[in-house]
Amino acid sequence: MIRPLLVLSLVVAAPAAAQGRPPLVLAAASLQESMNAAADAWAKQGHPRPVVSFAASSALARQVEAGGAADLFVSADQQWMDALAAKRLIVASSRVTFLGNRLVLVAARSNPVRIPVRPPAALARVLTAGPLAMADAPVPAGRYGEAALRSLGVWTAVAPKVVRGDSVRAALTLVERGAAPLGIVYATDARASSTVRIAGVFPARSHPPITYPVARLAASKNPEGEGFRRFLVSRAGKAIFTGYGFTPR
Amino acid sequence: MLSPAEWTIVALSLKVGGVAMAAVLPLAFALAWLLARGRFPGKLLLDALVHLPLVVPPVVTGWLLLLAFGPNGPLGSLLERWFGVSVLFRWTGAAIAAAIMALPLMVRAMRLSIEAVDRRLESAARTLGAGPWRVFWTLTLPLSLPGILAGAVLGFARSIGEFGATITFVSNVPGETQTLPLAIYSALQQPGAEATVWRLSAMSVALSLAALLVSELLTRRVRRGLHVL
Repeated sequence: MIRPLLVLSLVVAAPAAAQGRPPLVLAAASLQESMNAAADAWAKQGHPRPVVSFAASSALARQVEAGGAADLFVSADQQWMDALAAKRLIVASSRVTFLGNRLVLVAARSNPVRIPVRPPAALARVLTAGPLAMADAPVPAGRYGEAALRSLGVWTAVAPKVVRGDSVRAALTLVERGAAPLGIVYATDARASSTVRIAGVFPARSHPPITYPVARLAASKNPEGEGFRRFLVSRAGKAIFTGYGFTPR
Repeated sequence: MLSPAEWTIVALSLKVGGVAMAAVLPLAFALAWLLARGRFPGKLLLDALVHLPLVVPPVVTGWLLLLAFGPNGPLGSLLERWFGVSVLFRWTGAAIAAAIMALPLMVRAMRLSIEAVDRRLESAARTLGAGPWRVFWTLTLPLSLPGILAGAVLGFARSIGEFGATITFVSNVPGETQTLPLAIYSALQQPGAEATVWRLSAMSVALSLAALLVSELLTRRVRRGLHVL
């Protein structure tokens, strides 16, 4: 009974809202292409196009903590969403983990290397043939990569060969530019680049789950923000992200 | 050439840089004057404080600004109470970050030009009956003007290049706080966006170079002025 009423009120409110302010979305930098595509798709349905600020999840969360009035927060890990939830800065009921990602090994397209997952000695031999590009240790992608190499039993052997980029995209660039033959990035990063290929996918159980939560901020006053959040977690919304290599949750 | 969206970024950068420079100009001049002419306890400390943004990591400046201008921060709560505005995620916040980062460079250039004014000329004017304000408006200010403008243009150049403090303080909001350096950073995160990176970088270099040339030309006028005296 409540549902149809809510939908009705949204429909009635839509024309007025369409002339309203666009919502401000704070999104992890790794979502750049996909979130822009989602915002475009939402705008095509007659809504004001959300304005999206892309930066590190940590920087965005600190801006929210300082009292920044945005509408939605999309984090690249649960840790920063938990931090905001603990301070009651997000609407708890609006928090949805809507996307997942896979950790992969990328190589230049011209590099025919094959990655043996087992035994550890064979994997270590391939990974230590040259520098291995990874994101910085405090960055989630760097943490996940280290966890995966540990669980596959090769971290001690590989660690001296690791070169760090300040973000996962910086690690990708190292492989794109030939500075490192192999790199550990997300499946979505590999998909975004035309010069690298996925040489191997880490077993999902070799690292903590890679998930992306979205939530409405407690300070949000723009109803368009909640509308866009519902679109993001809807089947149509998730389909856009799947096209960029994310796994729907 | 640039796409309409890229021109928006350039226009925003010019607005942020221009407003930052204009807004901080009086403060920079006052500080330059104090440091050039003043004798007071704590002058050394003030000098060091003014130069702090030049050497502190920009990310620290940005974080401190975030704390100060958040609605619960000391300055943010005042803005909220007096004007009902917040600068977070707004271009005004980007201008504040740019102004803080530009201040030391502006003060340095202005201070040099004020110190270059021959005090004997001022004494002569005073003995001829001019009051202190008249000496300031008709002698000191015109003589130091090229240096003041050089400092202002230098500050403008620094403003449009500001990155670290801005993204930490007011995020990366297109149309509000996404100035040239932030847009370049965003494009760098996107594989295949090299063409955008090149165009925006070229624009950034061109603007900075133009500002530096103007500033240098003005500085030379200050030096030439010295020889005339």
